[in-house]
Amino acid sequence: MDRKLKLVITIIGLLVFILLLWLAENYIDAFIKRILNVAAIYVILGVSLNLINGFTGQFSLGHAGFMALGAYASALLYMSPSLKAMNFFIQPIIWPLSEIEIPFFFALLIGGTVAAIAGFAVGAPCLRVGGDYLAIVTYGFAEIIRVILNNLQSITNGPLGLKGLPTYTNLYWSWGWALFTVFFIKKLVDSSYGRALKSIREDEVAAEAMGVNLFKHKTLAFVIGAFFAGIGGGLLGSLLMTIDPNSFNIALTFQIVMIVLLGGLGSITGSVVMGISVAFLMELLRFVESPMTIFGFTIPGIPGMRMLIFALILVITVIFFRRGLFGHKEFSWTWIFRSKGRNANESA
Amino acid sequence: MSLLKLEQVTKRFGGLTAVSDFNLDLQEGELVGLIGPNGAGKTTVFNLITNTYYLSEGKILFEGKDITGLKTDRIAAAGIVRTFQNIRLFGELTVLENVLTACHLRLRSSVFSAVFGFPEYKREELAMHEKARSLLKTLGLEKYERDQAGSLPYGLQRKLEIARALATQPKVLLLDEPAAGMNPEETLALGALILKIRKEFQLTILLIEHDMSLVMTICERIIVLDHGVTIAEGLPEEIQNNPDVITAYLGTGDLYA
Repeated sequence: MDRKLKLVITIIGLLVFILLLWLAENYIDAFIKRILNVAAIYVILGVSLNLINGFTGQFSLGHAGFMALGAYASALLYMSPSLKAMNFFIQPIIWPLSEIEIPFFFALLIGGTVAAIAGFAVGAPCLRVGGDYLAIVTYGFAEIIRVILNNLQSITNGPLGLKGLPTYTNLYWSWGWALFTVFFIKKLVDSSYGRALKSIREDEVAAEAMGVNLFKHKTLAFVIGAFFAGIGGGLLGSLLMTIDPNSFNIALTFQIVMIVLLGGLGSITGSVVMGISVAFLMELLRFVESPMTIFGFTIPGIPGMRMLIFALILVITVIFFRRGLFGHKEFSWTWIFRSKGRNANESA
Repeated sequence: MSLLKLEQVTKRFGGLTAVSDFNLDLQEGELVGLIGPNGAGKTTVFNLITNTYYLSEGKILFEGKDITGLKTDRIAAAGIVRTFQNIRLFGELTVLENVLTACHLRLRSSVFSAVFGFPEYKREELAMHEKARSLLKTLGLEKYERDQAGSLPYGLQRKLEIARALATQPKVLLLDEPAAGMNPEETLALGALILKIRKEFQLTILLIEHDMSLVMTICERIIVLDHGVTIAEGLPEEIQNNPDVITAYLGTGDLYA
């Protein structure tokens, strides 16, 4: 297929997508809209974690930590001074933060940047460890962030968290960022830098011997991954209208790891599809947590049963689709039209 | 002119001295063979040159500059690159991508210009593709461009390793047993190929090889290692008749003594 045609299809696709977003934003009920917002945020988180775990092969469990930093940094910047005064009733917030209020977009960018700096701080020492050890170090980092946020009373309001955040997140913001994340990371992994990242995943020793600067490229993956995780965290905070340190725990990281594993390590398409699917499944599977009667036995509602279903899905995926649903494959127009053409030929 | 010089290089792993007091003076354009029985320390020498292992003692000079302790990727950028005895390709990437990855160290464009496709990056990307394709052609791999590197047959994987190494634009090429697992005809062709790339890319080559017919025909000078110690050095004919070398390889005759 020639490139101009693909470009035209992409542009038409984007326009249709924007139209759908507009329709959804204006006519869909609030519940579905919320799931769609969550779906977009999962896409951002899944794709950004995939850059670190799937493409660079550095198994990180620090995503919740990066999200927490992004969520807090941005919320503290876009909250109004009066709202902050209301929230910080135990100990007043320290000076410059108490006065600052900046637009949502810039607050998000700064939140992402704070997370990116943390990503550098984690990525840099991680040059020395790999595999399981890296997972433990990054998990430890996420826990440290959580503990720090719990204890910085005059900056983060400690375990009370921040409540009544203004809801800026809408479908345009969330899906706009999701599209940008997919675009950025797709272009990155297809570029020369992306090949260097993949070579680190394939064989670190050979990559270094061929002149790939391990330090630079590993931290690059961490910084970019953390930036988008921070953005995702910021969007999530404004969507949920409340953040507290303990909501950014390991369970959240595992949810994102699950999205990446189910979709396929090293497949952006996989992370997008699974990010959306998991967001919907989380709501659809709510019924398993309510009391029910099976064959005369009454099971009381157990909160957390949903995760059991996800665990089951994960086990099945690992057994039957060892590399996730998409493996390393990616969506492309050529792929769509080729499979269509093949189907047409078969039916003819 | 002396291009790569190793001065009294020693590597100890705990109590074991893998390489002891090793000296090498590689002249520009030379093809030197490094041979020795298994476990003699040949690959360790490569690992020391590329700083995969830190050396315990000694000094390494490249083009007159001290490169001891320089990071592996910087050494590759300076112009010393190696292949691996136990093939280390990027198995899941395509053949072309393997070679392109090795071109990456000469890339000047920033991450942002790569992501947003600025003209300077597009120019560089195009040039890298051209270079990679011409390298694949030189090594006769152009047909396999889109194949996964890990799916290639063994002999072609060895060739791809050489192509990938050449993509870094080296001055010194360190070949670690390139003929391992090849039959006599393939080995013969490989010898011709090594001579061809040396001429075409103005390379200086240090070759580790067990196949004596290959070493003796293409190398101008041979160094023999045994238990980390240099036991002989000289022209191929001299090495062939050196009693120490024969002892090292075959042992002495006094089995029942």
